[in-house]
Amino acid sequence: MTDATLPTAAARQRLPLAWLGIVPFLVFALLFLIMPTLNLVVGAFQDNSGAFSLDSIVQLWNNPKIVAAYWISIKISAISALLGALAGFFIALAIVRGGLAPWVRSATLTFSGVASNFAGVPLAFSFLATMGRLGLVTVFLNHVLGLDIYRMGFNPLNSWGLISVYLFFQIPLMIVIITPAIDGLKREWAEAAATLGASNAQFWRMVALPVLWPSLLGTFILLFANAFGAIATAYAFTGSSLNIVPILLYAQIRGDVLYNPHLGYALAFGMIVITGLANIFYIWLRMRSERWLK
Amino acid sequence: MKKTRIWPWITMLLGSIYFFLPLIATLEFSLRMKREGYSLEAYRVVLADPRFRDTFSYSVIVAVFTILLGVLLVVPTAYWIRLKLPKMRPVVEFITLLPLIIPAIVIVFGYIRMYGSNSVLPFLGTSRGTDLLLIIGYATLALPYMYRAVDTGLRTIDVRTLTEAAQILGAGWTTIIARIILPNVLIAVLSGAFLTFAIVIGEFTIASLLNAPAFGPYLQLMGANRAYEPAALAVISFVITWGCMSLIQFLSRYAPKSATTPQH
Amino acid sequence: MAETFLSIKDVSKSFGPVQVVKNFNLDIDKGEFVSFLGPSGCGKTTMLRMVAGFEEPTAGTIMIGDRDVTNLKPNQRNIGMVFQAYALFPNLTVKQNIGFGLKVAGVPKAEIDARVQEMLDIIKLSQFGDRYPFQLSGGQQQRIALARAIAVKPQVLLLDEPLSALDAKIRVSLRDEIRSIQRKLGITTIFVTHDQEEALSMSDRIVVMHDGKAEQIGTPFEIYNHPATRFAANFVGTLNVLDAKVLDPRKGIVAIGEDKVDVGAEIDLSHHAKDGVVALALRPEAVSLGKRKGRDRSVTGTIADVHFLGSVIRMRAKVAGANLLVDTFNDPDQAPPKRGDKVDLTFAAKDLLLLND
Repeated sequence: MTDATLPTAAARQRLPLAWLGIVPFLVFALLFLIMPTLNLVVGAFQDNSGAFSLDSIVQLWNNPKIVAAYWISIKISAISALLGALAGFFIALAIVRGGLAPWVRSATLTFSGVASNFAGVPLAFSFLATMGRLGLVTVFLNHVLGLDIYRMGFNPLNSWGLISVYLFFQIPLMIVIITPAIDGLKREWAEAAATLGASNAQFWRMVALPVLWPSLLGTFILLFANAFGAIATAYAFTGSSLNIVPILLYAQIRGDVLYNPHLGYALAFGMIVITGLANIFYIWLRMRSERWLK
Repeated sequence: MKKTRIWPWITMLLGSIYFFLPLIATLEFSLRMKREGYSLEAYRVVLADPRFRDTFSYSVIVAVFTILLGVLLVVPTAYWIRLKLPKMRPVVEFITLLPLIIPAIVIVFGYIRMYGSNSVLPFLGTSRGTDLLLIIGYATLALPYMYRAVDTGLRTIDVRTLTEAAQILGAGWTTIIARIILPNVLIAVLSGAFLTFAIVIGEFTIASLLNAPAFGPYLQLMGANRAYEPAALAVISFVITWGCMSLIQFLSRYAPKSATTPQH
Repeated sequence: MAETFLSIKDVSKSFGPVQVVKNFNLDIDKGEFVSFLGPSGCGKTTMLRMVAGFEEPTAGTIMIGDRDVTNLKPNQRNIGMVFQAYALFPNLTVKQNIGFGLKVAGVPKAEIDARVQEMLDIIKLSQFGDRYPFQLSGGQQQRIALARAIAVKPQVLLLDEPLSALDAKIRVSLRDEIRSIQRKLGITTIFVTHDQEEALSMSDRIVVMHDGKAEQIGTPFEIYNHPATRFAANFVGTLNVLDAKVLDPRKGIVAIGEDKVDVGAEIDLSHHAKDGVVALALRPEAVSLGKRKGRDRSVTGTIADVHFLGSVIRMRAKVAGANLLVDTFNDPDQAPPKRGDKVDLTFAAKDLLLLND
C-alpha cells in the first residue's frame, strides 16, 4: 500500500512538471486534429458574414442531391458493413472452430492483415481488371460461355458494384477484429452447456451469441464508419459518377460545386455527426463486451 | 466431438474465390499489354515513367518522415502516460482514436481552411510547408495504429521498474528513453512504422487535396487515362502492402514476451 | 454391498499412436464418491471426459444405470460437471446460470425459480442471485458452478480439479462443503485431482492412476496403509524406501546394511525382488526411536538432521546410505536427539511394505 500512496503524494507537488510531458502531444492534437475539425463545425453554423446561422444546416436538409448523397452513402456503408461482418464472422468461425488445419488459420489471418490494408486506388484497379469491360471475368463469360454481361445491362459502376469492392477490405477487417473475440469463447462454456443438456444451437443462442454480440455489433459499426469516410476507392472505381457524400465533399473542396462554402462545412459536419454517433455507440458496446470477457 | 464438417470448407472455398479472383485477374490483366501474348510490358512502361519514380520516391520520403514524426510524438507520450499520468490515459487514448471517427477528408478540409496562404500559420503558402502539412496529416492518420502498437509494447515491459532501475544507475531522461525504453519497444514501434508505411504510400485523399506530388494522386491519374498500367500498379501496390504486413508478422516473433511479470 | 451404478469396462483411449488410458475397469456404487488421483498426464482427466462424453473411447463400454452411454453425446447423458476454471456463462446472472439446464430442458419458469432458490440456499449464496459471475470471488463462482451442475438432478456428478484454481484456505472449506452436499443429495460422484490430501479426505474410494492405468483402487485407508505399488506408495503420503538384500526368502530374512531384519512373511522372489534385492517401504510415523511396544524390528542409523515442526518432530536418519524419515510426537519431557547421534530405529514387521515395481 505504501508503494501506491507515496508516488501520489510526490506527484501532487510536482503536478505541473508532470503535465509538461504530454504538452507536445496535446498541442499537436489541438492544432492538427481538434481545431481543424472544430473550425469546420463552427463554419457550418455561420453565414457568409460570420454570424451564427442555421441556414447551412437547413439547406443541407432541403437539398435533394445532398440528402440523396447521404442516403446512398449510408446505404452503401451499412450494407457493405453488414455483409462484411457476416462473411467475416463465418470465415472467422471456420478458422477458429471449424476443425481446419492450423496453417489455414494463420494463412487466413496473414492474408486478412494485408487485404484489410489494401484499400484505395489500387483496389479499385483490381476490380476493374476483374469485372470491367475487359476484365478477366467479363472476358471469360463472353468467350467461354458466350454471355456478354455488359450488353445484358450489367454495370459494376453503381452502389452494388462499389459494395462488392468494399467487401474486399471489410471482410478481412472483420476477421482480424472478431477472431480474438471468438478465441475468447472458452471451450468449457460449450462443454458445460452440453453436460447441462443444451444442444449446440441452444448454446449458441443462449451463451455464445450474447457474449459475442457487443463485439459483433461494435465491429459492424467500425466497418460502417470505415466505409462511410472512404473516398479513394470509390473515386478511382466510379469516377465522380456515383453521388456519395465523400465524393461530393471532395468536389466541393476542389471547386465549390455547391456555390456556398458554408454548405460545404455543413456537409463535413454531417459526416462527423454520423461517424461520431456510430463510434460513440461502438465505444459503449466495446466496454460492455470487455466487462463480460474481462 | 471432432467430426470433419463440410461447412468450414465451403466457407473457405467461397472466401478464397472472392479474394483470389480479383488478384489473379489483376495479375493477368497487367500482363496483357502486348497484343501478341503475355509480357511484362506494362511494368516496363510504368517503371520507366519518370512521374512514377518522382511520385513514388516523394511518397517514400514523406512516409519516412511521417514515421519519424509519429515515433517522436507517440513514444514519449505513451511512456509518460504510463509512468506519470495514468489518469490522463483515457483522454489521450480517446484523442488517438479520433482519426477513426473523423474522416480524413474532413481533417484535410479543416487544414485547407486553417492553414491557407493568408492564415497565421501559412503552411500551404509554400511547397515545403505543404510537404510538412502532408506529413502532419499522415501522422494524424496513423495515430490510432501507432499509439496502439507502442502502448501494447509498453505494456509487456514494466516501465516503472525499468525507469527506476535506470535512475538509480544515474541515467537522465534522454538516456532512459533512447537507451532503455525505445530499444524495448522497438519491435512495437517498427510494427507501427510498417503499418504506417502501408497506409501512407498510396494515400490519395489528403495528398490530392493538398496538391502534393504524391504516389496516390499519380495512381488515380493513371487509372483515369491508361488501360494496362493501372493493373501493373495495383500488383506493385499489393506487393508493397504484403511486404509491410509480412515484416510486421516477422517482427512479432521477436517481440519481447513479458520479462518482469511472472509467467504462467 | 450397494448396487453398481456407473460401470466402466475395459476402456482404452488413444490419441494417434499415444495410448493415454489403458484398459480401465471400475464399478462405482450409487451415491459413492470416487476420486481419480494421479499426476498430470496420467489419463485421469481423459477418463473423466470419456464418462462425460467429450471423448469417445477407443475401446470398451461405459454404463450409467442400465444405459450404455458409450456413444451418447454429452447432452444426452444427464450428467453434471464442474470445471477447474468455473466455466460460468459470463452473460448470465447467478440465477440464470443455475437455471440454465432446467431452461433448456423446458421446465416451467415457476419450477425453475423454486429449484434455483433451493440451490442458492444449499450453497449459502442467496444474496448473490442477481449478480454476474465477474462480480464474485473464485470460491463463490465455483460454488455456483456446483449448484448449476446439480440443479438438473444429474445421475452422475463429475468434478474436474474443481479446487485447483482456489486459495488454500477456501480450498479446504469448499472441499468439506462439496462433500457434505454430495452426501446430502446422495449423488454418485467422480472427482479428479492431483492433490493426495483432497483425495484422502473426501473419497469413499480412490483410484490411483499412473501412465494411463489404474494402479490401485481402494479406500483412503487401504491406499495409504497398504499401497500396492511403489508408485502408489510414493504418490500418496510420505514414504521411506529402503533397499534390502534377501538372505532367506522362505523365512523372510533380509539385510539392511549391517542389520538383519525378519520381515515376517515369505518373499516371492519372482514377484518382488530384482537381483536378490527388495524394496521395503515404511511411513515416517511407523518408525520410532528406541524401544516401543509392538515395534520389535530395528535397524541402526545416524541422525542427519532434525526439524521441529511443533506437535511433530521430523528427523532424517542415514541408514545403510539411504535416508529414513522418522516422525515422532513432541514430548515436552524429552529433548530430541542431535545431529550425529547413533540411534536404534524400531518398527513393526506388519508396517513394512513390500513394493512391486
